[in-house]
Order: sequence, then C-alpha cells, then structure tokens
Amino acid sequence: MKLTPEKNILLFKSCLINVEYPGVESSTKYILDRIGVEYVVDDRQSCCTGLGYYFDLFDQLSTTAIAARNFKIGSETGHSNIVTMCATCYAILKKSAEILNENSEARNKINDIMVKSGLENMEYHQGDVDPAENIFHVAEIFFNKRDEISKLVKVDLSDLRVATHHACHYCKVFYKDAIKGVRDPNLLDGLVASVGVETIGWYDHKKVTCGSGFRQRFINKEISLDVTGEKLQSLKDNHVDVLIHMCPNCQMQFDRYQPCIAEKLETEFDIFHLNIAQFIALAMGADPYSVLGIQTHTVSVAPLIKQLKSKYEEINSEQTK
Amino acid sequence: MRTIKLKKDPLKLLNDVLKHLKASPDLGIFKCVQCGMCSSVCPAAKRTDYDPREMLRRVLQDDETVVEDESIWYCFSCYTCNSVCPSGNNACEVNQILRQMAIDKGDIQKIESFTPYGDSFINKGVGSIPDKYYDDMVKDAGSNCMDIKRDIQNIRSDLGLGSYILPDDSIKEIDSILKNSGFIGRIEMVKRCNK
Repeated sequence: MKLTPEKNILLFKSCLINVEYPGVESSTKYILDRIGVEYVVDDRQSCCTGLGYYFDLFDQLSTTAIAARNFKIGSETGHSNIVTMCATCYAILKKSAEILNENSEARNKINDIMVKSGLENMEYHQGDVDPAENIFHVAEIFFNKRDEISKLVKVDLSDLRVATHHACHYCKVFYKDAIKGVRDPNLLDGLVASVGVETIGWYDHKKVTCGSGFRQRFINKEISLDVTGEKLQSLKDNHVDVLIHMCPNCQMQFDRYQPCIAEKLETEFDIFHLNIAQFIALAMGADPYSVLGIQTHTVSVAPLIKQLKSKYEEINSEQTK
Repeated sequence: MRTIKLKKDPLKLLNDVLKHLKASPDLGIFKCVQCGMCSSVCPAAKRTDYDPREMLRRVLQDDETVVEDESIWYCFSCYTCNSVCPSGNNACEVNQILRQMAIDKGDIQKIESFTPYGDSFINKGVGSIPDKYYDDMVKDAGSNCMDIKRDIQNIRSDLGLGSYILPDDSIKEIDSILKNSGFIGRIEMVKRCNK
C-alpha cells in the first residue's frame, strides 16, 4: 500500500478550482476536517503554471523555479507534504521535484535565480522534496482514510448510476506512482464504494482523456469536443447519472461543454458532473450550496439535490431530535 | 570512386531532445521499437495527421523537419502514449520538446494568443484562461459562466474561502523569479514580434 501523510500538508490551491469550481476546495476541506488530517492553505502559494506549461508558453526552467518557491512556502511552516486537488498540479510538481533533485545544473541555475531575486532563503537543496513521498493527489489521501469516510456517511446515494473519469495527469504521467490502476483505473471507484455506492466499473472510453488537450479546446475546438462527445455518448449508453472527476480541467470540459455538445450531436445528455470531494461531502450530508458550491456548475446539479431532498430532510430531523 | 557522405552527427536531433531540460532522466527514446502502441491509443492520431510513432521515427532518423511539421501541434498532452509504451518511451514528452524547439526557432505565433495567461500569472501569481478564449467558452457554455466570473469573490466568501489573488509581497517575489528565469523576457519578445 502506498503510504500517504495525515499531517504537515500544504493543500495546494489550483487556478481552475479557484475561479471555476471553488466548491471543490470547500468540499475537500470539509472532508479533511472530519477525517483528522492536518493541513494548511497558504495565501502565498502561487499557481503551478500548469495551463501555461501545456499551452507551451511556460518554459521548464520558469515552471521549476516557481515550484521551488512553492515547496519552500510549504516547508517553511512545517508543511512539506504537498497535496493537490488538480491532476495537472500533481504532475507539474512531481516533474519539478524530479528535476530539482536529479539535475544539478538546473538546480544551480534555479538557486542562482533565487539569489538574484533576493530570495536566498528559497534555495533548493537536493532531496528537500521527494516526488514520490511528498507529493500526492488528495484522492489518495481520501483513499487511505476511506474507512473513516465510510463511518461519516449520512446520505444514501446508492440509487445513482455512477461512473468515474480518472484524470490523465494523475494516471498516465507518473504511472508508476498511481494507485489502483492505470489502464483500468479504479482509485475513484474505490472511493465511491467507500460512501456506499457501487460504480458501473469499466466502460468503453473509461481511460480516455476528457478532450480538453489544453490548447486544443481553444485552437482546435471541433476536435477537442469530438473526444468529449464520444465519451459522453459512452456514458449515456451506460445510463450514467453522475460522472466523478478528480481534476477541474476535466470537469470544466464536461460540465461547461455538455449542453453544446448535446446540441451539436442532436441528442441529450443528462449527466451530472461532480468532483470526488463534492460527491463524498454530499454523502456526508454537506450543504450543496455553501459547501459543494454547485451554483458554479453549468449542468445544474439542483435536480439531483431535489431527488435527494427527502433523504436530507431525514438527516436534519434526526439532527434536531 | 563512389563515396557515401555520412552525416557528421546522425544523432544530433535525438541528443538535443535527450539533453533538453524537459527530458525525463529515464526517457527511453533509444529503446523505441516502432511498435505503434502510442499511435493506436492517441486521440489526436485518430482525428488528425499527428502520428506519434512517425514523429519518433523522424527523431530517431535525425529528420529535423519534424520540428516544423504542423502535425505536432495536435497532441492533447494526455500521456496515454506514455502509459502504454512497452519501451519506457514518452512520445508526449518528446512532442513537448519538439514544440519548444519550434518556438525557439521562431514559431512564436503558436504561443502569441496565450500570452495573457503569462500576464495574469505575473500580475496575480495565478494564471488564467486568456479573455479571448474565455469569451469563446461563454458563447458555448452560456452567460452563466460570465456571471460566475464576475461574482467569484462573493461565491468564494459564501464557501468560506478567501481571496485567490496573492499578497503583494508574493507577487513581487514571483515577478523577480520570472524576470531572472527569462520568462518575462520571453513574453515581451513574443508580444514585440507580433506588433
């Protein structure tokens, strides 16, 4: 079993969670606070550069220097374990830590950059961060605490047909570090099971990319949305109600574009999109608006909440007893 | 007498790729057996002229024209090729290196429209989707996204989250780092060339 930390964690903010699905961050905190995991969020932490990196705009040296600064922000307050909510942050940071540890020329260049910038305190020393032992995706933290999560479940979601979308940058970049499978990924399926719901398991296109392709969504939109449409069709063929995500970029691709893809394909897709943290928090009885933040979704989650309303009322009446 | 002129350095492109800062220490490009697993799982190969196996063959055969080939710009960066390669090669990473080489050779048009992401990173410490592309998304996804964007600080505070823009001191640190790493120069150069 891959060991994951329960304390000294810097919960790493993500640019797309910040402004598109902030409910992913509040849901993540809601869960971590209830399963006894110690973490901080630090205002000084910058974005990982990931979108810019895959737009081919950010060069590797700059991305790695920015990562070195963020690593130091974590270790300075005793939080050297980096836990991300976005798969691209996860892979970008692992790549940067690998370069900082294994490429002495690059490390020296970055340390020179720090000195020139008056940030001598931010110099990186070989081994400060271990890419495999200090950098995680939050889904891994949840997975190793799944027994505790199970005990906190209050809402029965077992009537839903749930499928999972495992982010490429979690499974396929550092595939040796991914837990619960790469070609047939099951990390999210295991987490969904921990809240009492059996997923549909394998489906055609399960491991296929969301289609965003970073620049492709904007430069070659037709091609990008074609990939997404194919996956949506496969989910529809499997009568899926909810698709579970672990990366805000994938979630955007599906949630923001689902209605227009449906229109283009002259069909309908009735699939809700939730991040794994939102789904677990929902099962724990968290408020859909003030914790899950479903008000920022394009595909309204309100019908799903309405369907669960009677179950929520049961919890509330028990709590007031 | 007939002579065959050998290339001075028949592995130049390959070695340039391996020496690139982006290249992983265990990048197994020499071990490529041209099996085609990468192309068979590639979402771009299915839909465009991009063919990762062909791209790798051209790198192995020192065909430098691959850098200028438009098809390399269709890769989705999904790393599916990487995850199935039996030789420990990583076509996705090789692709990213070739793109950087293309940019270094002057093909800056490919990144020009993304420079607002860099500006946002420099000004706020957080990158954002360039307005031009965000507006495209709003056209497809509906005006609700724009409402979210405008109201984001209120939405965040309802969720118990603070401002996502970094404190001034941090922005200054990032500005210095990106000046000294050459990123700010790179962005300025791209904007200048485009004028």
